[in-house]
Amino acid sequence: MRLKTPREKRILYTKTTVRWILYYVLILLFFTIMTSGTYTKPMLLVPAAICIAIGNDVMAAAVTGAVCGFLTDMACGRLFGYNAVLLTVFCVAVSLVFELYLRNKFANYLWITALVSFLQCWLDYKFYFEIWDYENDERIFYHVTMKVWIYTVISSVAVYLIYKLINRFLMPKEHLTIEEVIKTS
Amino acid sequence: MREFLKSTRFKVLLAFLAFLVGIMIYAVTKGGYSLSGASFVQTATKPFRFVSNGISMKMERVTDRISHADAYYEENQQLKIKIGELNKQLTDYDDLKKEVEELRKLVVIKEQHPDEIFSQPAEVLGYVTNDPFKGFTIDKGSSDGIKPYCPVITPEGVVGITIEVSATTSTVRTILSPDLSIAAVCSSTNTDFGIVEGTVLTAEKNNTKLTHLSPDHKLKEGDLIITSGNSGLFPKDMAIGTVKSTGFEANGISACAEIEPCADIARLGSVFVILDFTGKKEDADAAKDTP
Repeated sequence: MRLKTPREKRILYTKTTVRWILYYVLILLFFTIMTSGTYTKPMLLVPAAICIAIGNDVMAAAVTGAVCGFLTDMACGRLFGYNAVLLTVFCVAVSLVFELYLRNKFANYLWITALVSFLQCWLDYKFYFEIWDYENDERIFYHVTMKVWIYTVISSVAVYLIYKLINRFLMPKEHLTIEEVIKTS
Repeated sequence: MREFLKSTRFKVLLAFLAFLVGIMIYAVTKGGYSLSGASFVQTATKPFRFVSNGISMKMERVTDRISHADAYYEENQQLKIKIGELNKQLTDYDDLKKEVEELRKLVVIKEQHPDEIFSQPAEVLGYVTNDPFKGFTIDKGSSDGIKPYCPVITPEGVVGITIEVSATTSTVRTILSPDLSIAAVCSSTNTDFGIVEGTVLTAEKNNTKLTHLSPDHKLKEGDLIITSGNSGLFPKDMAIGTVKSTGFEANGISACAEIEPCADIARLGSVFVILDFTGKKEDADAAKDTP
């Protein structure tokens, strides 16, 4: 690994700080959107947590998953910590899967988001509606749960683009380009 | 000169002058109305004068702006400050108006239910995300004396109960939810007792359901359903909703009715929390009634 000059270290530190501030500003923005109005809304915090988990290490992914989960619990009136546990597990898994097996590509992100958000929505339905054996509870699954899931998958495209933009300018490069290698050597 | 005075030209001029004086005297006798000739000229020249006057006024304004720029700037600044002050007063006025309206509603409810202790009007902060039963959060909490399982109402009728209370906010479960059961009775017959409990189907239409009715009930469309006060969760005689339709339960043993809540639960602005009332059950017992 190439040694960094003090100036490069300073730039890296600043960029990382700004990047994380932006990540969390967006998380708060998504929370605000989720808690506004009465219409069915996408679970924006799920794709946001996955986006962050994909590009960062496991610990950062876990913390972000927990934060997004707590905010989801507050927004959805769920037991405080329920979604935090779920999203922490999902984010850690996503971070590991992308580190070991998958490339950071949009298609991979999309199907992973679709899977994770479906699991989150399905578990929410199971624990908060089906388990209580409400009459006609399957209507909630088709009219609310599935709707929320579809909205989440659609909105995840916009979330991905926003986070991609942030990463493009502020994410430190993992690999050197050919030009940089030539220049270094 | 003598020749000019004796000339025909002079005589013609004099005659013309006399004609003009004559016109002048005639004009005096018209009492303010224009002579027909003058009127014609006025009409014919009107568009030109209009344009010309416009140009002149514009020029004057430009000159005026240039010459009084400082004074206008000063005046503009003062007016801006004044507008700011007036806007602030308007905002204060709107806030006061809103507060007075809320308090007026509270007075009406208080007159109807003198034995109950109400909270200050609580604003609805937002609805619980994607909740099919329209649960919501209000901006009053335990620091305002609110506890879990306190009834939440509007001047129109019952809305729900508080289920989770923090220092400054509370989450409300509405009467659309199957997890909230309220003992109720028909206001007109006072004999048709039942339990108001939401269902998935009725919640889709923002309605609730009156269950466990006697099969020979006398309920009809439009009847008002009120709290019976038996459960100790809600005070007696509070409006819940009106009967929309009646029918039988799936088991065929008891009857039921779809109830349209008096309060528009999907569009709430502010609510009141009943902190205490005669016959209130202890929190622990109340909790058992609400899963």
